[in-house]
Amino acid sequence: MKSVRKGGTYFMLKQRSTSLALQVLFVLLALPMLAWASGGGAGWIDAGKFALIVEMGLGLGITLLAWILKDKLRIPIPKLVQAPLIWITAYIAFRVILQPPIPFSLLAIYMAIVTISCFLYVTISQPSWEEFTQPIAFMLQENTGKAKMSRYVTFAAVPLLLAYGTYSKMLPKFDEPVELRTVHPAPPASVNVHDKILNLQTAENPYRVDDSGKYLKVGLESVYHGKNPWAQDAPKFLQNVRDGGVVFFGTAGCFFCHGDNLDGKGPFAFAFNPIPANFADPGTISQLQETFVFWRVSKGGPGLSREGFPWASAMPPWEKHLTTNEIWQVILFEYWHTGFFPRTWD
Amino acid sequence: MRSFNDPRKAKIGAVVLLGVIGLLLLLPFIPLQAGAEEAKQEAAPAEKKVEKAKDVFYKGPGEFGIVSGPPAPKLKYPDDYGTYGNFQSRSLLWVANQQHLYFGSFVLAVPMFVFVMELVGMLQKDKGMARKYDDMAHEMMKISLTAYSITAILGGILIFTFLALYPGFFGYLSRIFKPIMHVYALLFVLESGTLYIYYYGWDYMNDGGFLKWIHLSISFLLNTIGIVLMFFANSWIGFMMSPAGVDEQGRFLGDIWKSVHTALWHPLNVHRILGNAAFGGGVVAAYASYRFLAAKTPEEKAHYDWMSYVAMFMGILALIPLPFAGYWLMREVYGYRQQMGITLMGGLLAWVFIMQAMMIAILFVSVNYYLWQAMGRMPGAERYYPLFKYMLLILIVATISWLTPHTLVMTPAELKAMGGAQHPIVGNYGVMSAKNTAINIMITTTVFCFCIYQRCNKVPTVKWAALGNAALGALFTGAAINIVFLGIYGYFIPANVRIGLSVPQVCSTLTCLFIGVTLNTMMLKGARQLGEVRWGQMSPRGSYALFCLAVSFTWTMAVMGYLRSSVRLHWHVNEILRDNSPWAFTNPVGYAGNMNSMNVLLFWTMLLFVFWLGALSAKKAHVTEDEAVGAGKATLPAGSH
Repeated sequence: MKSVRKGGTYFMLKQRSTSLALQVLFVLLALPMLAWASGGGAGWIDAGKFALIVEMGLGLGITLLAWILKDKLRIPIPKLVQAPLIWITAYIAFRVILQPPIPFSLLAIYMAIVTISCFLYVTISQPSWEEFTQPIAFMLQENTGKAKMSRYVTFAAVPLLLAYGTYSKMLPKFDEPVELRTVHPAPPASVNVHDKILNLQTAENPYRVDDSGKYLKVGLESVYHGKNPWAQDAPKFLQNVRDGGVVFFGTAGCFFCHGDNLDGKGPFAFAFNPIPANFADPGTISQLQETFVFWRVSKGGPGLSREGFPWASAMPPWEKHLTTNEIWQVILFEYWHTGFFPRTWD
Repeated sequence: MRSFNDPRKAKIGAVVLLGVIGLLLLLPFIPLQAGAEEAKQEAAPAEKKVEKAKDVFYKGPGEFGIVSGPPAPKLKYPDDYGTYGNFQSRSLLWVANQQHLYFGSFVLAVPMFVFVMELVGMLQKDKGMARKYDDMAHEMMKISLTAYSITAILGGILIFTFLALYPGFFGYLSRIFKPIMHVYALLFVLESGTLYIYYYGWDYMNDGGFLKWIHLSISFLLNTIGIVLMFFANSWIGFMMSPAGVDEQGRFLGDIWKSVHTALWHPLNVHRILGNAAFGGGVVAAYASYRFLAAKTPEEKAHYDWMSYVAMFMGILALIPLPFAGYWLMREVYGYRQQMGITLMGGLLAWVFIMQAMMIAILFVSVNYYLWQAMGRMPGAERYYPLFKYMLLILIVATISWLTPHTLVMTPAELKAMGGAQHPIVGNYGVMSAKNTAINIMITTTVFCFCIYQRCNKVPTVKWAALGNAALGALFTGAAINIVFLGIYGYFIPANVRIGLSVPQVCSTLTCLFIGVTLNTMMLKGARQLGEVRWGQMSPRGSYALFCLAVSFTWTMAVMGYLRSSVRLHWHVNEILRDNSPWAFTNPVGYAGNMNSMNVLLFWTMLLFVFWLGALSAKKAHVTEDEAVGAGKATLPAGSH
């Protein structure tokens, strides 16, 4: 009987460790595969998206590991321990692993969600709730030495924690105040540029034209993406892009701030706070109509609306240096270069 | 009275009654028609000095109209505004408006719920169940009746607040909507009449046959009148946001239909109908939860447990399409004015939108949490317990993505450390592609959770059970893959195409909802029961989840109402009538949050009073019943859901 039991345990452990080894191998393989699939951060996917995929993979990996430990290997971790473990893991992920660091306001949102989800997790079913509350009930109700000791420690810790919280709250702070900056302030209904009133709801970029010179619908310019605007036989659209590029790198010198790759990292960029807009980010020009960009380029920081407070923008009002046509051309270039399309409402 | 005991005469009487109510419905439109005739007659002799002006909204053949009113006044403070002491007039009006809207929604939503319950009860083959549905509908109607008088009182308070604090604005709006306002008032008379006949005729018409159908028809009529009333009220707020039927100076151009039928009217109508239906379900669920927690006998507990489940189910049915209706509304807002859309979702009010997103997330998480708790009363549900945490994980990941703001609040030092206004990783979650994906995943998970709930105390016995399970698995997995893939693909295509991608995403979700639930239901036909549902044995946490759900509904309504109203910025009527009061500024987010919370608290305090009143009369009724039939004979709900 003894040997059978031994054999049984051995067999079970062997089975479990084989299963564990396979699953850890899967996790380890999954990450490089993801990296390989995304082209290692180059090519069709930028570094931000690469990091995003890797971190999503890491998240999945951690979940899988927890599943293996808890459900497959049946290593018992009490619910009372699981909840703070999840909380701490999430905190480390959002505070340390996620780079560049996220602002405190966002961290607070994320951790609030994690806190609520920890509570939901431990109360998700009656057995889970009982498992979670059992040690608490033991601590509060039992009269054994262990229970008494944990009771004293808890009752001493609670006021101490509160005192620490009050102390931190009352301690004078000299941090810079939070800046509620509206990144995309709402544009006016119309703007007056070079004595012409432009309706921002309906105006169109006159340089957005197809080969026959007709207006090119947004999205159809994808055929010109990746083509050479400096080619001898470049179509009309690309010729306009080329002219916009001349404005970007020459006439206006936008690249000094917005960068060669339009990623907001030009040689002057870090002299400003906040740094110039990153057009390569999916949250900037790709979310806006061309007319919105026209308004921002022509009127610059001084032309920001009231809600754009505190008007933290060093963007000059380019209407004073560029013609209306040059502004439209440079906008065309910005969209072409980043591969994004302006927002439309049709 | 004796003649009504004759069923034939009663039938004739009921039909005549219905006819009379139907005819009365037409009455309010007579002044509208007369008004139109009058306007024509007035316009005819004055043809020589007719002045035509261009509509601010309508284009094409009908863009010019005959000037039929004075221009919008240039309001001055304090001449055109009133005050009460040091209170902000806007805040006072805010409270009056919000409370009236809450109770208005309640008395509109509950009859909707009651109509469906009565119908379901009538279609039940099991007489016990039919009685239960009918009793529940009757009980809720009683609650609604108390709320109806509170609504009327609050309506009066609202009108007086308008007249006392915003006379200039109210005068302008009532000049434009003069014919409609009379129709509105007359419809209220009809609504009241229909409501009283419906409620007080309940027992009399409860013959299980023809009269019951007439009773249901009256309910239908009641709901129709309620919805028309809401459409009228919506037309005023629609006009304030996206005016039409007036020229640039705000002069009325003679066609009331154009002022009613503005750019945002229908999106608002659809959104509010669904919102009200969800709200109705939520409030009834909260009422049932309140009674469940306060119940002293297992029978009572069982009854209110069942009632809260049914109400929650109804609320969720309306909640699921609600985000899509909201999406349509926002699309129309952007289409009407780009700056309005940007102010709401990317600019000044973006943080309030995050609050709303938080509420939506709470709604879906609460529903799932309730279902998990509710499975505690289902024998055999233990099989599915291990799945709960994965559903929670999916919901939380979706919530994190859903709540990541596009505009971050940060100190200049944090901004510098981040290297710009957008975070390279988190920034990806701040845009529409991520949001659409997150909400669709949340809804799909909720549908999946419901499918599990449906089957947790059953084992399918149909021959094709294995195939059905595989199909269900494939359906949900396929939908999730499609939703996530389209979400990622959305980053690489133009915005207008990206917006279009939400359609296949929604289709995936709806396919899961309709095909998934239908397939699941078919599989459970004749299924082996692992045990009866133990109604009344749900953990109290389930009831708290339903409270959370109902409070979230009301909080969402407050937040969205504030957003909708404050997006006009310094305009009473957008671009027509300027707000020149000292309160024309946009509130800080904290102040708006506090005002909304206070409104929610006030509403729930009043509502708890209404619930308490309902419980008070129910106690009396129970005592009478017990005296009549003997204590402890209350029927348990049938063991089915």
